[in-house]
Amino acid sequence: MYRVQIGPFEGPLDLLLFFVKRDEIDIYDIPIARITEEFLAYVQLMEELNLDGVGDFLYFAALLMDIKARMLLPAEKAEEEQEVDPRRELVERLLEYVRYKEAAGHLEKLHHMRQLHYGRGYVPEAEQYQEVEERWETPSLGALIRAFRKVMQKATAREVVHQVAPEVYTLEEQRAFVLERLKGREKVAFSSLVMRRSRAFVIVTFLAILELLKNQVIRVFLGTEEDFYLERV
Amino acid sequence: MNMEVIIEAILFAATAPVRVEEMLEVLRTTKPELSVDEAMVRAAIDALNEKYAEGGHAVRVYAWGEGFQLSTIPDMAPYVQAHSQERRVRKLTRSLLETLAIVAYRQPVSKPEIDFIRGVDAGYALGKLLEMGYIEVKGRSDQVGRPLLYGTTTYFLEQFGLSGLEDLPRPREIEELLADPAFSRERAQLLAFQQTEETQKQS
Repeated sequence: MYRVQIGPFEGPLDLLLFFVKRDEIDIYDIPIARITEEFLAYVQLMEELNLDGVGDFLYFAALLMDIKARMLLPAEKAEEEQEVDPRRELVERLLEYVRYKEAAGHLEKLHHMRQLHYGRGYVPEAEQYQEVEERWETPSLGALIRAFRKVMQKATAREVVHQVAPEVYTLEEQRAFVLERLKGREKVAFSSLVMRRSRAFVIVTFLAILELLKNQVIRVFLGTEEDFYLERV
Repeated sequence: MNMEVIIEAILFAATAPVRVEEMLEVLRTTKPELSVDEAMVRAAIDALNEKYAEGGHAVRVYAWGEGFQLSTIPDMAPYVQAHSQERRVRKLTRSLLETLAIVAYRQPVSKPEIDFIRGVDAGYALGKLLEMGYIEVKGRSDQVGRPLLYGTTTYFLEQFGLSGLEDLPRPREIEELLADPAFSRERAQLLAFQQTEETQKQS
C-alpha cells in the first residue's frame, strides 16, 4: 500500500514530475512499474473523492500501463539498429512541461512586480465593472460563447428534467455520528467507524471528518499506513 | 514650453501607456518648429526619469506594452495600497499561468497543442485568459480541424511590465534546468517535509 499525498497538482504531468523530484529519479531512467502503481493509486483516490479532471489522469494511466507492457516485451529494433526506449515520448513530454512550468513561474514574478506599480487612476476598478453593461465595443470570443451557453441553458432548462436520487447520508448526520461515537472514548479508529458500511457511507463520513478537522473539533493522527485515529480536541 | 514638459503632461494625464508615435504627432502639430523625432522623444523620457530619480520623486516613466506610462515606484506600493483598501493584489492561478506561459512562448499556438503540453484540457484557462484580455485569437491553423490560434495581447505586455515579447525571460535549456540547485533544493524540501511527517507519526 502506498501512502498517497493529495496535492494541488496541475495535471498528470505535474503529478509525474512530483514523483520524479520526490524520489530523486533520474528523469532519463524512470522506474515505470513503480511510478505506474503509485500513479494509479492516486487516480483511484481521485475517483473516490470525486475530484475534477480524473479523465486527463486516466488517459495518462493508460499511457503508463502501455509503456510498462512494452518494456516487458523484447526491445524493438529501429532502422539504425538502435533500441527505442518505450519511455522516450513520456520523458520528452515531461521535459517540455518542466520548461513551461518554469516559464509560468517567471510570469508570476513579473505579474507580481508589475502590481507594485500604480499608474494614474489606480482605483477605477469598481467603476470598470459597473460600466460593463454599457460597453458596446467588440466583446471577446470567450464572452460571446459564455453568453450563448447561458441562453442555451435557459432555453433547455425547461425541457430536460434530471432525476437525481437524494443522498442517503448527509454531512450533518455523519458529523453527529462521528461525534456520538467519540463520546466518552479516548480515540476511535476510522476503520472501526465505517466497518462493513457502504461506499456512500464511507465517503460522506470521511467528508464529515474533514469538516470537523477544519473546524478544529477533532484531531486526527496516523496509526498504521492503512488507518488513522480520531479524538476530540 | 520645452518638449520634456509637454511629454510629462501627456504621460501624467494618460491612464494607459502612450505610444511614441502618439507623442510625436502631438509635438509635430503643436510645435512644428521643434521638428522632433523619435530619438528626441526617448531622450526626453530618459531626462524626465533622471530628474525624478535625482529629486527623490515617487514616480518614473516605464516602457510597458507598446508605449510609456507614468507610474509609482515599487517602494511606494505599501502606501498606495494602504490608501486604496479595496484593491487587493490579484494572483493568477497556476493553471492560468502555465497556459499563459505556453501561449506567450509558442504563439501563435492552438488549443490542442496547449492541451498536449500540459496534459490537461486548457479550455477553461483559455476562456478565462481571453476574458481577462491577456490573449486573443490570432487566426486559424492549417492543421486538421483548422483550430484557432492564440497569441498574447499588448495588454498582456502592459500588465506584466514588458515592452515587448523579446523582454520575456529566455526559457532555459533542459540540462541547465535539471542541473539547477533549485531543482534539488525543492527536492530536499520535499524530503525534509516527509521526514518531519514521519517523526511526528512515531511520537
